[in-house]
Amino acid sequence: MLGVTDLDVFYGDAQALWDVSMNVDEGEVVAIVGSNGAGKSTFVNAVMGINRARRGSIIFEGVELTNLAGHRTCRQGIAIVPEGRRLFPFLSVQENLDLGAFNREARRHHHESLAWVHELFPRLSERRDQLAGTLSGGEQQMVAIGRALMARPRLLLMDEPSLGLAPVIVDEVFERIERVRAEGVSVVLVEQNVKRALDISARAYVLAEGRIVQQGSAAELAASPEVVAALLGV
Amino acid sequence: MNVLQAGLAGALGGSLFALMALGLSLTWGFLKVINLAHFGLILLGSYLTFELATSTPLGPLNTLLVTIPVLCVLGAAIHLAYERFEVSELSSLLVSYGLLIILVQVVHNIWSADFRRMDASVNPYATRSISLGDLSFPLPTLLAAGFGLVLVVLVGTIINRTYAGRALRAFGQDREIASAFGIDHRLIGVVLAGVAGATAAIAGMLFALRGTITPDAAFEWVGLVFAIVILGGIGNVAGTFYAGLLVGAVSGVVASFWTPSHSPLVVFSMVVLALVFRPEGLFPRRAGRH
Amino acid sequence: MKGGKGWIPLAAIALSIGILPWLRELTGFPASYLVLLSAVLFWTAQATSWNILSGYSGYFSFGQGAFYGVGVYALAVLVGRHGQSWWLGLLLGGVAGLVLALVIGTIAFRLRSLRGEIFALLTLAIPFILSAIARVTDSIDGGQGIILPVPEYPDFFGPFQQFIFWLSGAVAVLALVIAYGMVETRYGWALFAIHDDEAVAEGLGVPTFRHKMIAIAANGLIAGLSGAVSALQVGFISPEGTFNLRVPLFVIVMSVLGGRLFWAGPAVGALYVVTLQNRLAGGFEGWSLIILGAVLVLLVLFAPEGIMARFVRRPWTIVAVAAGVLAALALYGEWGDPVSWFALALGSAAVVALLPAGTIAGRRTASPSSRLGSALADPGEPETSSPGIGKTLVEAGEVTRRFGGIHALRGVSMRLSEGELVGLVGPNGSGKTTLVNLLSGALRPTSGSITVDGVDIVDMAPHQIVHQGIARTYQIPRPFNSLTVKDNVVVAIMFGREPRGLAASRQAAAEYLALVGLSDLGDVRPGGINLHERQLLEMARAMATRPRILLLDEALAGLNPVEIDNAVAVVRRIHRSGVSIVLVEHLLRVVNQLATRIVVLDQGRLLAEGDPATVMQNPAVVSAYLGSEAHARRD
Repeated sequence: MLGVTDLDVFYGDAQALWDVSMNVDEGEVVAIVGSNGAGKSTFVNAVMGINRARRGSIIFEGVELTNLAGHRTCRQGIAIVPEGRRLFPFLSVQENLDLGAFNREARRHHHESLAWVHELFPRLSERRDQLAGTLSGGEQQMVAIGRALMARPRLLLMDEPSLGLAPVIVDEVFERIERVRAEGVSVVLVEQNVKRALDISARAYVLAEGRIVQQGSAAELAASPEVVAALLGV
Repeated sequence: MNVLQAGLAGALGGSLFALMALGLSLTWGFLKVINLAHFGLILLGSYLTFELATSTPLGPLNTLLVTIPVLCVLGAAIHLAYERFEVSELSSLLVSYGLLIILVQVVHNIWSADFRRMDASVNPYATRSISLGDLSFPLPTLLAAGFGLVLVVLVGTIINRTYAGRALRAFGQDREIASAFGIDHRLIGVVLAGVAGATAAIAGMLFALRGTITPDAAFEWVGLVFAIVILGGIGNVAGTFYAGLLVGAVSGVVASFWTPSHSPLVVFSMVVLALVFRPEGLFPRRAGRH
Repeated sequence: MKGGKGWIPLAAIALSIGILPWLRELTGFPASYLVLLSAVLFWTAQATSWNILSGYSGYFSFGQGAFYGVGVYALAVLVGRHGQSWWLGLLLGGVAGLVLALVIGTIAFRLRSLRGEIFALLTLAIPFILSAIARVTDSIDGGQGIILPVPEYPDFFGPFQQFIFWLSGAVAVLALVIAYGMVETRYGWALFAIHDDEAVAEGLGVPTFRHKMIAIAANGLIAGLSGAVSALQVGFISPEGTFNLRVPLFVIVMSVLGGRLFWAGPAVGALYVVTLQNRLAGGFEGWSLIILGAVLVLLVLFAPEGIMARFVRRPWTIVAVAAGVLAALALYGEWGDPVSWFALALGSAAVVALLPAGTIAGRRTASPSSRLGSALADPGEPETSSPGIGKTLVEAGEVTRRFGGIHALRGVSMRLSEGELVGLVGPNGSGKTTLVNLLSGALRPTSGSITVDGVDIVDMAPHQIVHQGIARTYQIPRPFNSLTVKDNVVVAIMFGREPRGLAASRQAAAEYLALVGLSDLGDVRPGGINLHERQLLEMARAMATRPRILLLDEALAGLNPVEIDNAVAVVRRIHRSGVSIVLVEHLLRVVNQLATRIVVLDQGRLLAEGDPATVMQNPAVVSAYLGSEAHARRD
């Protein structure tokens, strides 16, 4: 479904990713784990078209996405839950969700999408008129996920959805990710919370210092001492 | 009664400056460009109105049929150039300063530095006024207030109630993420700059309607219009209109108590105080919205 | 901003201004040239004074007309209304400009919310206020204007135009001397640093408020003096003629044209603009502003650094071209008048200057591998023994910092002793960078205490904390981009804990470049070096302030393994030289390798501390990094 080959990404002249290759199949959750600064966010942003790739290719359902402008990538059926949520803080919850469905295809299904998001996160319908910037961290994360789902993605990129959330809320978020996957949406899950991420993924990649150093089934990696070593630097 | 008349007349006059400020505030707030060339566009609007009304049978109000499309395209073209060269907020100030100098001089070369005014036969509005009890208001300022009100409500509604407006606000808050959800930044920029150009056409027409025009007027507007943009809050449509009314009313009242020369003293002291104490503007946006 | 031999042209200019009137009597060139030259000198003073504030420090001002205007009115009122002598008027003009500048500076530069645009708009509003005050105050103007008679001045000065020429010349030379003198001393360098990155400048020990005040004071003083001279010349003063947009417009165009980072840039710009206007005066008036506007637009887009930046790359070629054109036209003698020859010479010089240059100054010289090698080799360095642990240097007690409702740090206590290298680690958002910002004074704690060697630093400005011996680097390097690598270090030496003058600092800079292995890249601009080298520059610059404590905020982020090893060697060398270090780092293998002690933060709290091996075994630390199993759930 998504195939990335030999991706190099730079920030200015600082190389953030080296030779990253990975793939995602239909309906699976793939985790990308690694310590912070390893290049995880850079990777999802490159897929989304927010960061530019200097080398390599990104192909989604047969369509070349490499260096497609962000607003075009979205029309192909990919949506992002960015790191740190990045809601539009001075827009209401409802307006944030509406903007998720900005592209024409998604707008046509606005009502069904909204019903689905409200079913997943009932709290969002209570808060619909509140400014997104005034919500709690957990509620903001729900809006961010909801906003991405409004785009009716076939592939959802989730960047650190557990960051800064209380454990109970993290439980809730991860449970929703599973429900989203059950609806047939593939998920790329970027997480620092390695154990949790491996728990709900089929496969995973370990990023360290901008390179993929390990890959395999989640169960395998969870048991691997090398993964722990790569993450703790011991 | 005198003070009331002065305040109301001033407020109505201020709405013309609010109209001028509207376009500047929109592009500054949402596109992060401080476009001084906007004053050049307004000036061009005034002179095109004068020229068309004088040499064709259109009549001053109908000149908008020509000036709106022309300035819309010109405004959008200037914005595309800013985009192309990726000018920053501060360098946009310099570049557009250069463009303003050029536009003013072009107007100067075509129509000369002399005062121009539409003949009473083509511009029946200039001398008329409407009385309300003891109060009397010149028709051009009433028209300015009317146009201002309609535009502010229109633009405000578009920005606050429509899908495109939501996209615009989202874009102003986080460009990258807005783009990731399918919002085309180039399209938004061009459309908004075009809208700002259209408001320049209307403001220019209304200015020509009021009486005499001269190329140097563009430079004279700069101070007052910036005052309104800052007092109203950058990118705040309704705030800009209120600030225009406020500045106009204060000018009118000050002028009636002392002399018209005192008005800039009070108005610009307000600007300095606003910059020092409330750089986000006098009229905070409402928090909740439906 | 290149200086060194600037005194020579300055003395030459001063001398020519001094003797020109006599030369005129000898050669008999027309008095109109004197008028033209006076205009060049007037604009030189105005533009140079504007540039000291807005060009050097980057605080863009639209308020030049205000300083100029108070100078004009100070003289006009004193001489025109009260019949005082011209020199008293000049004096008052300068003082008025100075006082206005200090008032504006005191208000504006104390604002917390001050940004470039706010300052620009604030200064835009001032002339309108002053104009209104002049118009409504009968004892100043009252709306009818002031007529100034030709003042009585000593016969020695000759004709009136010659008198004005000399006065304008004196003010212009004063402006240039101040502008040049600043470039050669710490005053100018403080402003260049502020221009490039004010927070970093403050963090390297530059008292930024004081230097901004000095810059705006110089701007006000010179502009006021020059305004007073022009009032003498003009003879009729009105608010409309004084506080309009002509002065702010022209000084901006001239400075941008000439080059805002050069002391002589505005003068060159003034020369070009005045000559151009003069030549276009014969029938082409309508074009002169269009050309000026276009020049401004094109320069900002394509050559934002101005003509001077191009001149200094090949000065002799350009001087030769200009002199050649001038000589050829003079010898031919059949076309135009001398001013036209001169204008054409200036034009050809500009064309040559703006042609694409063959070599761009400040490119890298040595190959990357040789540079890395030099840092790695480390001959004769003792392999063993970090310095022993000594007395406590930094002590943070129960430090809390809130941002709105979010607790970035909650009651963290830690200490750092002499000779320690503390690794500060923790997951994203755990408060590491916040702690660095609190220690360096970039932020203030919401509550809690921080002392350095027993001295409370909580209420100190960052530059004062530098003088207590704390220096820092930034996660994303923030070099002063308009200065060379070496000059970046020079600024830090000049304003550090043991401040030195420019010349001494330049000599000392080599030592710090050698410390981090950047000796070969001293003359390169930061834009021409890679991320790793910029991070090394961060360290060199921080070390140049002669700190006792160095805070390294993720100094290795984004590096490849070879570069990381090199950076580790540099950090180790700095540590061995006796500086205590706090190292914030994601790469735990590096921290384990370097640190004498590790402090772990998680969600703003101190999670664990101790020696590396023990801490990394701590289950709480492991779960903070890997996520806890306790909440793992299965459906």
